[in-house]
Amino acid sequence: MIRDFEYLAPKTLEEALTLLSKYGEECKIIAGGQSLLVLMRQGLVAPKYLISIKGVSELNYINYDAKKGLRIGALTPHRAIENSPVIQNGFTALAEMERRLASIQTRNWGTIGGNLCHADPAGDPAPVLVVLKATLKMQSLDGERTMASEDFSLDYFETALGPGELLTEIQVPVVSPHTGTAYTKFNVIESDLATVGVAVSIILSSSNSACQDVRIALGASAPTPMRAKQAEEVLRGKKITDALLTEAGQIASTEADPISDIYASEEYRRELVKVLVKRVGKEALARAKQA
Amino acid sequence: MKKELNLTVNGQPYELYIKPKTLLVEVLRDHLGLTGTKRGCNSSSCGACTVILNGMSVKSCSILALQADSAEVLTLEGLANGAELHPLQKAFLDHGAFQCGFCTSGMLMSAKTLLDENPKPTAEQIKEGIDGNICRCTGYNSIIRAITDVVKGEYKEEK
Amino acid sequence: MSKYSVIGTRVRRVDGPEKVTGNAKYTFDMVLPNMLYGKILRSPHPHARILNIDTSQAEKLIGVKAIVTGKDTLGRKQGIWRRFSELCDEEILCRAKVRYIGDPVAAVAAVDEDTAEEALDLIEVEYEPLPAVFDPMEAIKEEAPQLHEGAELNINVTRHIEWGDVDEAFRQCDHIREDQFKCSSQAHVCMETHDAVASFDYNGKLTVWTSTQSSYYIQRLLTDMLGLRESDIRVIKPPTGGGFGSKFELDSAQFCASVLSMKLCQPVKIVLSREEEFTATKRRTPMYYSVKLGAKKDGTLLAKEVRVITEGGAYTGMGATALYLTGFFSSFPYKYPNYRYDGYRVYTNTAPTSAMRGFGAPQSTFVGESQIDMIAEDLGIDPIEIRRKNGMTPNYEVPGQAYIQSCGLHQCLDKLEEQIKEQGKLPANHGIGVSAYGFMSGGIFNWFDTPYAFSSAIVKINIDGKVDLFTGACEIGQGSDTTLSMICAEELGVRLEDIRIYAGDTGICPVDLGAWGSRETLMNGNAVKMAAADAKRQLLEFAAAKLGANIVYDLEIKDQWIHLTDRPERGFSYFDIVKEAIRGRDGEVIMGRGHYTPHRKGMISPAYSFGVQAVEVEVDTETGRVKLVNVTTAHESGTVINPVGIEGQLEGAIMMAGGYGFCEDQPMDGGKILNPSIADYKLIRSLDMPKTKILPIDTYEPEGPFGAKEAGEGLTNPTAGAIGNAVYKAVGVRITDLPITPEKVLRALKKKQKQNK
Repeated sequence: MIRDFEYLAPKTLEEALTLLSKYGEECKIIAGGQSLLVLMRQGLVAPKYLISIKGVSELNYINYDAKKGLRIGALTPHRAIENSPVIQNGFTALAEMERRLASIQTRNWGTIGGNLCHADPAGDPAPVLVVLKATLKMQSLDGERTMASEDFSLDYFETALGPGELLTEIQVPVVSPHTGTAYTKFNVIESDLATVGVAVSIILSSSNSACQDVRIALGASAPTPMRAKQAEEVLRGKKITDALLTEAGQIASTEADPISDIYASEEYRRELVKVLVKRVGKEALARAKQA
Repeated sequence: MKKELNLTVNGQPYELYIKPKTLLVEVLRDHLGLTGTKRGCNSSSCGACTVILNGMSVKSCSILALQADSAEVLTLEGLANGAELHPLQKAFLDHGAFQCGFCTSGMLMSAKTLLDENPKPTAEQIKEGIDGNICRCTGYNSIIRAITDVVKGEYKEEK
Repeated sequence: MSKYSVIGTRVRRVDGPEKVTGNAKYTFDMVLPNMLYGKILRSPHPHARILNIDTSQAEKLIGVKAIVTGKDTLGRKQGIWRRFSELCDEEILCRAKVRYIGDPVAAVAAVDEDTAEEALDLIEVEYEPLPAVFDPMEAIKEEAPQLHEGAELNINVTRHIEWGDVDEAFRQCDHIREDQFKCSSQAHVCMETHDAVASFDYNGKLTVWTSTQSSYYIQRLLTDMLGLRESDIRVIKPPTGGGFGSKFELDSAQFCASVLSMKLCQPVKIVLSREEEFTATKRRTPMYYSVKLGAKKDGTLLAKEVRVITEGGAYTGMGATALYLTGFFSSFPYKYPNYRYDGYRVYTNTAPTSAMRGFGAPQSTFVGESQIDMIAEDLGIDPIEIRRKNGMTPNYEVPGQAYIQSCGLHQCLDKLEEQIKEQGKLPANHGIGVSAYGFMSGGIFNWFDTPYAFSSAIVKINIDGKVDLFTGACEIGQGSDTTLSMICAEELGVRLEDIRIYAGDTGICPVDLGAWGSRETLMNGNAVKMAAADAKRQLLEFAAAKLGANIVYDLEIKDQWIHLTDRPERGFSYFDIVKEAIRGRDGEVIMGRGHYTPHRKGMISPAYSFGVQAVEVEVDTETGRVKLVNVTTAHESGTVINPVGIEGQLEGAIMMAGGYGFCEDQPMDGGKILNPSIADYKLIRSLDMPKTKILPIDTYEPEGPFGAKEAGEGLTNPTAGAIGNAVYKAVGVRITDLPITPEKVLRALKKKQKQNK
């Protein structure tokens, strides 16, 4: 049962930040509410004030600039990202990830910012943003700051947002040539949450040469989305082969820190990390070669 | 504590006075008596509550009614044109694309949104279009056949 | 050209228009004037004594109108096996003890749901937790806590089925296999949860609207529990959002709403939440199987010995039937000269296990069809060939048990084999598994102890020729309203649109036991046919008198034309005869009565349907993930009355049975179900649904109306077994406990790799 609350619906970012600052601990922000309302219906979250920022249209945008890269407003619905031509063409993995996120209904109303702030370690967007080297902009009445997306999630359902701060923008840098990015999640039901999710981004120094840089991010494999840095080391600077990808997968599976739950044991999740890093890495490599 | 809500449902404007915690599905079912839209779960998973808000399919159990202020909502009750059923409704009837009928409202709303956004979806896109809606009775394939027939133009009105 | 005008045609469901327009009003949608909302307080302990319930604080909450506990009831116990008092073990509102997490202890009626829910938090219950037991293997031990008085070692029910001499037969076998299997539970997940609106009036009469598979059972069980006269209770079934076996026993929503309403003389509505639906309604019976199968080296099956222990949960419910049927269907669909089954249902402190589509047969079919593939491989015999060699045939008697009249199993095997051959070579890691089944069309047992015929119907022909059909049969989505209307229309020689059906209302419809055990088409269909024939006879008598012809053999009604059978051009319009017949009989209403009771129809069921299913899977050998690619089913269900209906039942069964095979599960810890939500309980969605193909086989069942028998429940039996066999064919690992999850498959693959090294 949802407990009563007072409802505030700011129309601008300024208003939203003012209210957030005013009510502090007593309030909660709701964007699309696709995650929050589930918790509120179960009585797990019961704020005195609920600030709906769904109407802050200035935070709903997708802009691309050849120098600055992609800027996505935090209140952009998943569906807009999924259907955006600029993202489908230039940041394909992001659009592909969105296409398998929950359901169309959820994607129509839920926002990417809401998803990131909910900080479910099984969330799909975070690993993709991490390998795309995305940064997140946060604003408060006192100003703004930016941080790497991989630092945003601190623990299960806990983010680095400080008091009075709102996530306002997701910034994805321009993709270098010869970059390939891919994401896959393992589940038994196609559109389900990830049992394990893996994103890989590979930058080659030319279309068929050694790996200049690589990022491997794991979802649902630790309390937060995490980079498998040791696995990355296996690939960085080398000419990537199947054997190397297998090794990277093996290393990543030891770096991961997954839980055992009713869907999978820890052991099985590690196995999935191993297999998926190899497969997604291979896909990313193929895309990098074509890019 | 109560706040004013203005929204248009099935072409009809309403002015209501509701507690902020009221969900859109509660406004539709309990306040407006439009019980065509159902609820089947408490985890935003089943899709039985799907309605069309400003042209998008959404789960009405997962939207605070106040967030839908000034919106235009279409529910199953608004799908037919008076006594004339919508092609999807006719196709569902012909194909037995429902059995107990409890998921049908949400299913039709998802199907309508799918075709409004993309009148010629592929088979895979049709499946994706209704993937957010659980049906325990039909096994989905009859629903897919019904939608496919509408896509093929089997239910175009004679002029 | 078909000899039938209505039967076998593709029609729109008679309840279709209201469902596709949102006009169908389910119990879930009902609002009555002055209605209150109820909520139920349930035990958080798996086993405990109730020491005290203090409702005083809750009663003070504004908006709370009444609170009831076990003390406010007559203190009776009920159970659907009414004839056996030791199996009537469920109070619903517990008085002295709770036996599972979710067992009801109190119910509140308030002005709105939120208030009722708040009130629950204010009720103080003092429990004395008792040791609990969750595993039937543990519960059956001497030292285990006892759940019910009189049930030693927590053994609730035992069943024994035997024929031939199994021990001697095993001595003559060339090859014997002994295997263990574990079949999991499953949740029905009806889209409409259990709900009821109960209204007790100042006349002392109770009306209950409820989502149910049997209004009559609910009426009778409420009678037993509330102390009212049966006919002072009226149970009405509005459009119902699914049943699948979960909704023909008296449930907490119906009982608590009734008790509350009786206290207040106001309507009380209780709708179970999805979480309550998962945790506090009955579920499929988990079963532990030990099977010994013996054959000759040419593949002739000589003997089968089956031992089953089932996890009964806290109460009996329909669990006794599941225990029996799993033993009976363990002998299907093959001719075993020697057979022995021993089944034990064991009480455990978990949610009660009862009836779910297939009723013990999906479990027995998973086991049996897995094992027959295993023995076929041992003997070097093709899986279809071994089934062919031993498969049941028409007019076969299961020794001393059952008589099978029509049986199209062999045609199904042949047709399916053809299909599989056509498919040719499969890609790597793909496999096709086959599974055969047989299922009953309703049971003949009267454990409910009803004095009534199992099915009844009344047909009334009105002055304008339109027909009102009254029957207790319950439309729960399976299409009985349409199918029965079609049978009525065919028999009367009118169109489907001329029939209006009133069903599932105990106040106006004659008794039918309900929609479970696959009985509606055959049993109620026969009752409807008989009633229509009775009404028809009254018309024909009149027409014959007009024509001067000899009654029974010479006249027929077809397509609204009453005519001499041999000379169809000589006749009258049905509508004209109706008018004249009514006038000619002093204005007496034309009414036909029909009933059906399967007395003397064998020992188990009047008829059986058969089929064979082939499932193609793709296995990801690195993750163990099993994907359902294709499901082809050859099946026979006698004359097909409602083809659109049967296709729907088949495809829907694949979704449910496929889920049972690979993704649906209810893991528990300390008696607590860990995934009581649709987010966490995995269900097949449209993207997961395989391609389906139906190969109908034509048969005719003399016992059924126009030759029809069941379809819909039997179809739930084969899929899990077919998936298991397909996985084995694809990657060489055999999973013997359901569901077949990726982790189990991967573990098995790795073990196999190690063994091969």
